[in-house]
Order: sequence, then C-alpha cells, then structure tokens
Amino acid sequence: MEHEKDETIEETITDNNETEEIDEYEGEETSRDVVVPGEVLTEDTKNFLPGRGTIFNKDRTKIISLNIGLKQIKRNYINVIPLRGFYTPRPGDKVIALVTDKNPVKYRCDINSKEDGILKPKNTVKRGKPRGFRGGAPDNYDNSTEKYDIGDILIVKVLSADRLNKPELTTVGKYLGKRRDGLVISIDPPKIPRVIGRSGSMIKMLKDLTKCNIFVTQNGRIWLKGEDIAHERLLIDAVKKIEKEAHTVGLTDRMSEYIENEKKKRGIN
Amino acid sequence: MPLIIKDEYPEKLFREDGKRLDGRDKHELRPIKMEVGVLENADGSAYLEWGNNKIYAAVYGPREVHPHHLAKPDRGILRVFYRMSTFSVFERKRPAPGRREKEISMVIKDCLKPVLFLELYPGTSFEVFINVMDADGGTRCACTTVAALALADAGIPMRSLVSAVAMGKIDGELITDLSGIEDKAGEADLPCAMTWFNEEMSLLQFDGSMDLKEFSESLVLAKDALTKIHEIQLETLKKKYIEIQEESKGGENVK
Repeated sequence: MEHEKDETIEETITDNNETEEIDEYEGEETSRDVVVPGEVLTEDTKNFLPGRGTIFNKDRTKIISLNIGLKQIKRNYINVIPLRGFYTPRPGDKVIALVTDKNPVKYRCDINSKEDGILKPKNTVKRGKPRGFRGGAPDNYDNSTEKYDIGDILIVKVLSADRLNKPELTTVGKYLGKRRDGLVISIDPPKIPRVIGRSGSMIKMLKDLTKCNIFVTQNGRIWLKGEDIAHERLLIDAVKKIEKEAHTVGLTDRMSEYIENEKKKRGIN
Repeated sequence: MPLIIKDEYPEKLFREDGKRLDGRDKHELRPIKMEVGVLENADGSAYLEWGNNKIYAAVYGPREVHPHHLAKPDRGILRVFYRMSTFSVFERKRPAPGRREKEISMVIKDCLKPVLFLELYPGTSFEVFINVMDADGGTRCACTTVAALALADAGIPMRSLVSAVAMGKIDGELITDLSGIEDKAGEADLPCAMTWFNEEMSLLQFDGSMDLKEFSESLVLAKDALTKIHEIQLETLKKKYIEIQEESKGGENVK
C-alpha cells in the first residue's frame, strides 16, 4: 500500500516550494564588496546597527564582519551575506537526506548538518485517517523501521531543530518521501538562494531550458531528473557555474546565454 | 653517497655588508605566498609558503566529536593537530607525534580560541589539521597564520584573523622573522601572535636572553611586521572572489 502511494508522489513532483525564498544576493542595497572576518565595515555607530554576520567591537566604536561575504546595508542595519558556510537545520526546511543507519526504533539520516537527523517510524506513515478496529491502530500500521533501507535517498521535512538536540525529521507531506530515480548533486549551502533566484526566476529558467525536473533544498543538495543524460549533464554544469559565480551581477541573464550556447555546442535541443 | 650535513653554525650571523646570511635586512620578512581553497574535500583549506616553509592546513567542522567523551555540553571544542612530515627536516623525523608537536598544537589552539564563537556550537568540534611539508624556522608562527586563513575559508564565524611572526636577537642586534639557522644559533627567539579585533597578543613565547628595553622594542617592531602579514592574509582571502567578479564583468564588456 505505502509503496504505491510513493510512486504517485514521485510523478507529481514538478514544483519547488522553496521558490518563495528571496534572492538575497540580488538587490540594490547589496554592494559587491567582498569583506573578510575582522574587517571594519563602518565606524559610524550612531546611524548603523550590526545585523546578520556582524558584531560591535569591544568599545562599540566600530562594526566588524564575522564572515567572508558580501556587504549589505538594509535600512540602518549592516549585514554580511556569507559566501562560505555550513547548513543549520531549521524547523520547516525541506531537505534531501541519506539514510546512513537504522535500528528497530529509528533511522539516522545524513542531512549535511553538524548532527545526523533522526527519523522515527511514526513520522513515516500518515496518521489519523485509516483507523483500525474500534479506533485502534490501523491493520497496516507497522511501528518498525522496514520501510526504508540504508542508502536510500529521502526528501524529508525538519520537524524540530535546536542547538542541543538532534533534528527530528518527517516524510509525511507533499513532495516528501523516497526518491527512486534521478541524481543528487551537492553545492555550498550559502549559495542555494542564488540557484533559486529572485522569486524563483533562476530555477524556472533552468527548468524551461534544460527540460529537467529539479528540486532544490536548503542543505545544499539538489535532486534532478531529465529526459536523457545529456540534458542532465548540461544542468549539472550550469549549477556548478552558478555556484562558482554566485557573487557576481546579472547572473540569470548570463546563465540563460550560457545554456543556449552550450546547447548549440553539444547539439541538443 | 649519503648527504652529510655538518651540525655546525657559522660564527657570525651577519655578512660583511651588514645583511643577514640570506641577504635580508634586519627587519625584512621572507617572501610570503598564500593560497586558500587548495584541498577539495576539506571544508576550508589554505597553503602557505614562507621562505622555505611549506605548510598545508585543513579545517573540518562543526561536526560531532570523536571520541565522544571529549564533547562539552555547553560549548564546542577546537582541536588542532600540528604534524611535521618525515622529510620536512634534514634528519628524518620520526612520524609519531612527539612532545614538541603536542606542545605546538596546544599553543596554536590557545592562540586561535579567542577569535572563535565556540559557545554557539555546543557538543561539536572544529578540527584543524596542519601539515608541515618543509620546515625552516618559525613554523609555529607560520602555522598559526595559515590556520587562521583556513578557518576563514571554511566560513566559520570569526572575530578577526590571527597573524604571527617570530622576533629575535642575533649577534646582539634585534631582527624580525628568524630563519632556521638564526633560530638555532641566535641569542633569543620571541614568537608572537596578534588578534586584530582588539589588537591583543594571543601568543607570546620567549627563549634566550634579552633585556627589558630590547623586549619592549621588539614588540613594537613585531606589530609592524604583523600588519604586513595581515594585509597579505586579507588580500589572499578576497582575491579568490574578486577574480571571478572581474572575469564576469570583462565578459560583459566584450559583448
């Protein structure tokens, strides 16, 4: 029963929920100044406050950067958008996970964060609707970890995550579940907003031009599946190029030009 | 025929024209070349050539601590592994970590700790692996410099970079940036490191003899040298990204 359900989910996966993410690299306030840790961003502490990735110095006379990134001024806040970094899970994130270990009570999943995610079997089956005899557990309700195997690729949602406890995951929901085909590539997590683009413009362009199905997740992993291997290769090259040039201006236009040129070179349409 | 290197030092460490044995002035640094992002599989990495020193540094983290009993529930830990290759010195170095390597690992760890926000990552570890490929004096300073670069390249939040340099005294005169032979035959050796967010000393070791006046004088001279090294560090980190920016701009102008 469960497996058949999975197949239907797989066919309908065409859209990406993450497209609502704003493109923080693109914007009038974002300068193209690369700053490094310890660099003084401003000494005007009356008009500006430290935002993301910045801090006051000891005497509160300067605002300094904590990361290697791009300087951004939003209203009276000074932010630094990081160019390198790691993924920190947040509740509600949809991520691609790899099952690395399982025991009778839980799965352990690698989600590219500092700690492994925990997937409990109760979070892998839909609850509520199919009730068993006299409102008890349904007949097919199986509280053991037989649904997935070690090495499976899952799309999961983070239920809870904080500094102290391991993140808890679920596979119940739209687009979530096991992936049986396609490819997974991984890039630097801070560059994910650039692959999505402002209100999903970049991802839309990639989908239209390469005719591939693509699912971008916040932990730096991208699931993709195309008509044939040539289109998939083209898409992978394009994503790697976006990762490399994430901090430059006018990337979407340049990428569409690049894909058109590559299509002619490689003889695919 | 085996290469025999005599364990003798020259009597004078200054040449007749007043320069040092390798042709430097008293307060001149050896040529420094830095690079970041050299190792594919590390989270952050850096390579440094400082005179004859050749050093690689790799950073991993934040990640789970193994062995698990080292983990602290209220903060992350920083672990530094300083290792010298067997071929890095004249006489083959035994590969097992010795007393000296453990000490230098500890010194570098304490030197880098104040710039990191370890309290934000409880139960995790940051690991810095430093491998000295070629050694010629002042490796602990060079390793501190390159480790700070690798940490910044990994995208770990830092208050500032850390730069280090060794001051010294040979033939009664103060000098900057000791080379291997000056380190062994000289009168004093004073490695020092600086954190730039508050401009405080993060490492200060002393070996040899020097009077107090000379000591304070060499600290002033050290700051000048450290400023130069810090500038090279900043330039190296930015260069990687600015090059790509200019490439993309250049492409647009041609069209």
